[in-house]
Amino acid sequence: MQSAGNAEIMETLTGVFREIFDSPGLVLHDAMTATDVENWDSLNHIDLIVAIEKKFKVKFTTREVASLKTVGELAGLIQQKLVAKP
Amino acid sequence: MIFTSFNFLLLLPLVVVLYHIVPLRGRSLYLLVVSYAFYWIWSPGAAAVLAAVTSLTFYAGKVVGDPTAERRGRVVFLYAIGLLILYLAIFKIAAATSLGRTVGIALPLGLSYYTFKLMSYIIDIYWGKIQPATNGIDFAVAIAFFPQLTAGPIQRPADFLPQVPPPRTMVWQGLSRMVWGLAKKMLIADNLAPTVNYVYAHIGGSQVGGLHGAALLAGFYLFPLQLYADFSALTDIALGMGMMFGIQGPENFNRPFTASSISDFWSRWHMSLTSWLADYVFTPLRMTTRSLGTLGLVLSLSLNMVAIGIWHGLTWGYLAFGLVNAAYFVADALTARNRAKFFKTRPNLTRLGNWMGWLLTFHLVLIGLVFFRAHTVSDATWLLSYALRGLAHAKADVSHLLAATGAKVLLVGLAGYAALELAERLRPDQWWLSFELTAPTWLRLSLQFVTGAFIAVAWVLLTIRSGNHASPFLYQVF
Repeated sequence: MQSAGNAEIMETLTGVFREIFDSPGLVLHDAMTATDVENWDSLNHIDLIVAIEKKFKVKFTTREVASLKTVGELAGLIQQKLVAKP
Repeated sequence: MIFTSFNFLLLLPLVVVLYHIVPLRGRSLYLLVVSYAFYWIWSPGAAAVLAAVTSLTFYAGKVVGDPTAERRGRVVFLYAIGLLILYLAIFKIAAATSLGRTVGIALPLGLSYYTFKLMSYIIDIYWGKIQPATNGIDFAVAIAFFPQLTAGPIQRPADFLPQVPPPRTMVWQGLSRMVWGLAKKMLIADNLAPTVNYVYAHIGGSQVGGLHGAALLAGFYLFPLQLYADFSALTDIALGMGMMFGIQGPENFNRPFTASSISDFWSRWHMSLTSWLADYVFTPLRMTTRSLGTLGLVLSLSLNMVAIGIWHGLTWGYLAFGLVNAAYFVADALTARNRAKFFKTRPNLTRLGNWMGWLLTFHLVLIGLVFFRAHTVSDATWLLSYALRGLAHAKADVSHLLAATGAKVLLVGLAGYAALELAERLRPDQWWLSFELTAPTWLRLSLQFVTGAFIAVAWVLLTIRSGNHASPFLYQVF
């Protein structure tokens, strides 16, 4: 059940990433970091976070955003937030 | 502690040789003793204060990272960050006003660098990125490591701590990087310096001997080259020296003057400072203001660039430098998407666009740096408004300038700078690395011997030259 949720999250995330980084062919994987994606810098990072917050209807804290290292961790955090939602 | 001073260069080989005799578990302590000894020679008081703030931060880190007392951790985190900012601010304010002279407070060497290391440590623990350091000696070395203490690069404890105690060293690699840096400083930066200093000392229309047109332009174009050669040399020396003790530090530059946009430039210039500010200033600000949309972006970017400016000191010039770059950066960020779209639909213009982008970025950066270098903001605006006037007398103006500063010195500096740009483009060190992997042993060993001998001779020559030469680095005053 959990892994199905994760796959769904990754699919939605892929859409958001492709739009923010203007890269229609972008394919996400768990170990991906900012250095693997063109234009993923500290400026675009918050645009990405805002877009994810809107799409999944969740809120992140600075602390959470700052400690994320990979796409996998981001997907995990989203899942955590969705599960905790009332 | 000037790295190009005769005494320092004479002492360093001894410190390196002794390091290799010390057993692995004693290496951290050895580095700590040497680092504090160098700092102590400069100022015993500053060394004692450094030890005190380091200890306080170390213990604060333990409390902040204690998972059983999150509430207390949060309070201690806020206090620790507040106190570190206050500590930095007091010295910076004292240095910028007459207060410092009255009370007798001197700016501690390397203050801006080590305070930033301490702050990143506490914040990283609070954000859950790292665990508190278990060994106080290792932590104290991470903060006071002498190659980086006076002028960076700002290596965060999160990056430094996993490397101590260093099991292996990279002496030859480090030494060649250091010799490269020393040569850059003494042959390029110091030969461009007299002309730059002369121009910036003779700005102002009413002044006797005030310069015009082409002479001002010479200062406009030469200072950035001098600053880059000087500051990147300092980084080369710090990184090379670190390697000799087995520490790999962060790079600070990536061919900054090839940047094709302002954001590109700032990702290539003083990278250890800009990435620090991006993580600990820009990101939190941008997160806090994200509901404000574009206004939030403009505010966060502007504050970040102002922080970069006044990190150098609380003067109007550094503030202006920060503000000018803030304006550039905002314009860049707000038009980035449209520019990308424009060039995407017109691929035949991409080359031209990149070229124009480079030319524009280069000049915008240079304009900003006039505020950085000039003694006052009005000197800077004077230079910028008069540099393009009276260019008909360019020949006379330039010969007047060269008569005062010496054409030969400038030519050596410029030729050196051209060689530097060429070397950065062609990267002979990487050819060398790939050659080392494929060449037969006898050829490799004999070439290594020749290179070793060359570096050793260069070291001796540079040490001798430093005997009557030690000019301080531009970035050792922050």
